[in-house]
Amino acid sequence: MKYYTKVNDKEYIIEVGQDNEISVNDERYAIDFRRVAEGGMVSLLLNHRSLEAVVDERDDHWEVLTDGELYTVFVQDERAYRLAQARGTGLDMGHEAGVKAPMPGLIIRVLVEVGDTVERNEKVVILESMKMENELRSPREGVVTAVRVTPGASVEKDQILILISDLEE
Amino acid sequence: MKREDGLLTKKFDKLLIVNRGEIAVRILRACHELGIKTVAVYSDADRNAPHVRFADEAYYIGPPPARESYLRVDKLLDVAKRSGAQAVHPGYGFLAERAEFAQACVDAGLVFVGPSAQAIKIMGDKQEARETVKAAGVPIVPGTEPGLNEAEMQAAADRMGYPVLVKAVAGGGGKGMRPVHRSEDLQDAIAAARREALSAFGDDVVYLEKMITDARHIEIQLLADSHGNTVYLGERECSLQRRHQKLIEEAPSFVVDEDLRQRMGAVAVAAAKAVDYVNAGTIEFLLDKDKNFYFLEMNTRLQVEHPVTELVTGIDIAQEQLRIARGRRLRFAQKDIQIRGWAIECRINAEDPYNNYLPSTGVISTMRLPTGPGVRVDTGVFRGYEITPYYDSMISKLICYGETRGEAVLRMRRALEEYRITGVKTNIPFHQHMMDSHRFLTGNFDTKFVEDRFSMSDRAADQDMEAAVLATLMAHHQSLQAGQRIAAVGAGSEKGSAWKWYNRWERLRR
Repeated sequence: MKYYTKVNDKEYIIEVGQDNEISVNDERYAIDFRRVAEGGMVSLLLNHRSLEAVVDERDDHWEVLTDGELYTVFVQDERAYRLAQARGTGLDMGHEAGVKAPMPGLIIRVLVEVGDTVERNEKVVILESMKMENELRSPREGVVTAVRVTPGASVEKDQILILISDLEE
Repeated sequence: MKREDGLLTKKFDKLLIVNRGEIAVRILRACHELGIKTVAVYSDADRNAPHVRFADEAYYIGPPPARESYLRVDKLLDVAKRSGAQAVHPGYGFLAERAEFAQACVDAGLVFVGPSAQAIKIMGDKQEARETVKAAGVPIVPGTEPGLNEAEMQAAADRMGYPVLVKAVAGGGGKGMRPVHRSEDLQDAIAAARREALSAFGDDVVYLEKMITDARHIEIQLLADSHGNTVYLGERECSLQRRHQKLIEEAPSFVVDEDLRQRMGAVAVAAAKAVDYVNAGTIEFLLDKDKNFYFLEMNTRLQVEHPVTELVTGIDIAQEQLRIARGRRLRFAQKDIQIRGWAIECRINAEDPYNNYLPSTGVISTMRLPTGPGVRVDTGVFRGYEITPYYDSMISKLICYGETRGEAVLRMRRALEEYRITGVKTNIPFHQHMMDSHRFLTGNFDTKFVEDRFSMSDRAADQDMEAAVLATLMAHHQSLQAGQRIAAVGAGSEKGSAWKWYNRWERLRR
């Protein structure tokens, strides 16, 4: 089976063969992959290199925790990949990005208005939660196309607060 | 025995712990070791929490928001009465530094495991604390009195020179505190500090303090019995902070030699004696680059980072707190206290170090704690536990010991690598990056280091390919399994099929 897998903007074409063998971008590796009974963990011997990880399935991606680092991984099999290609989206996330509330809380301040140009990592909203004022930042540069909250509003986890679009158009 | 200042000490054999999380567990352990019966309390969010399961008895006190449960003095005192507890341990946070609560305990005939209400009150009021310790000969940072209006503060700050710190009188743990570097930023900072202090403490009075730059945060752990004996258990280095929240602590400090330790210790003891302090307490100091030190504040409670001191002195501070509250004398004098080896604590928080340290909520889906030589983990969470916005984001404290600082760092690196936690993002990568950083290894940092000069962006998460392979194999196995499940159903209910299925499952699981 052939898979198209994306991590941190790098794409890997991975073929899983029959006999404990895989190829990653045409390079071959001997593997021994086991699930460990202990809570969600897996053990992989990759050319005898021993890796241990927790691999969790999320809505549209996988989370892989290994050596303390958490990786967000998108896996598509060939069929899903072709379908996505046909739709022209691939693994692209689209042209509009939302600033989401990472946790429930109270909006203290909104620092931008519709039409404002923002930089990547610019502070856009102050959210109070866990007894702290937290700065939410823009995930990308662009122009603010919608502000969906006002100070004093209570928000839910993952609620979209602000939309940011491409600079042009 | 009830002292003139209202402090009550007597023997007790049943203790109520009015806290939750890792600190409640820590106190429970000390009680079990000393043969004291324990009573826990819990909100709706904590019915399954370890502190409830570890305790001898547990009582429900209300909904998850702390003001409706862990801060409800009436409910807590009622639990004490119903359970027959004779003493109350407040832990840290919540009611630990509320003088009214300590007084209410004493008024109900309960031993409060901590100092007198009067000592809490004086040390809890920043201004009164400064004046009290200053009179006892303790050096303090220059600043203003509280209660000035905006214009007066502007004038005072402009006179004092920048940078200055805006601090809430009722503040603590970095809440209601704002640094100001330029005159024109002062008013915004005052407004923000007032707002935060009002929502956190119900009091928006602030004052200004000159900011000591290139400073280290060094604190002295004290133990004082009710018979007038006070000793210091050496220092803790707590300079690695972000927005005044400590992240990494160690004992001893890289920059404190024996002479400085003795001087700081003696001053700390004098500060405690100025309020007839009893039980465990900590004096926080700022240490500037010329080794001048200034009193910051006294924490009149057990602290989050107490384990590093326990590891290098061999003294169980939580147990000592209980002995002192029972009216016993300290079993050791200053000369008996030796600092041996090195201990480092990393606070593991549910927050994303790659995204401005935003808190992360969710359910812990996997948790495996590091163990092995020289590793201690204090935690109050478990697999299936939900990190909610109601309580703070600390998941656990990872503490490592070594004969030398280098050995402790190597242990910490190893332990961080062993730690497995998923479901929420954690700051483990931050700690790993810090343990690898040249500045940390050479002990060359101050209280601004994390915020101003430490970046996660130069950390290369360099196992992209491996992560891709792991996720792909998992996805592959899952689709194979789904295929087999359909096949098994299609094969009907022959006797053999269950075994076939079991075999396949076994093969996958092995």
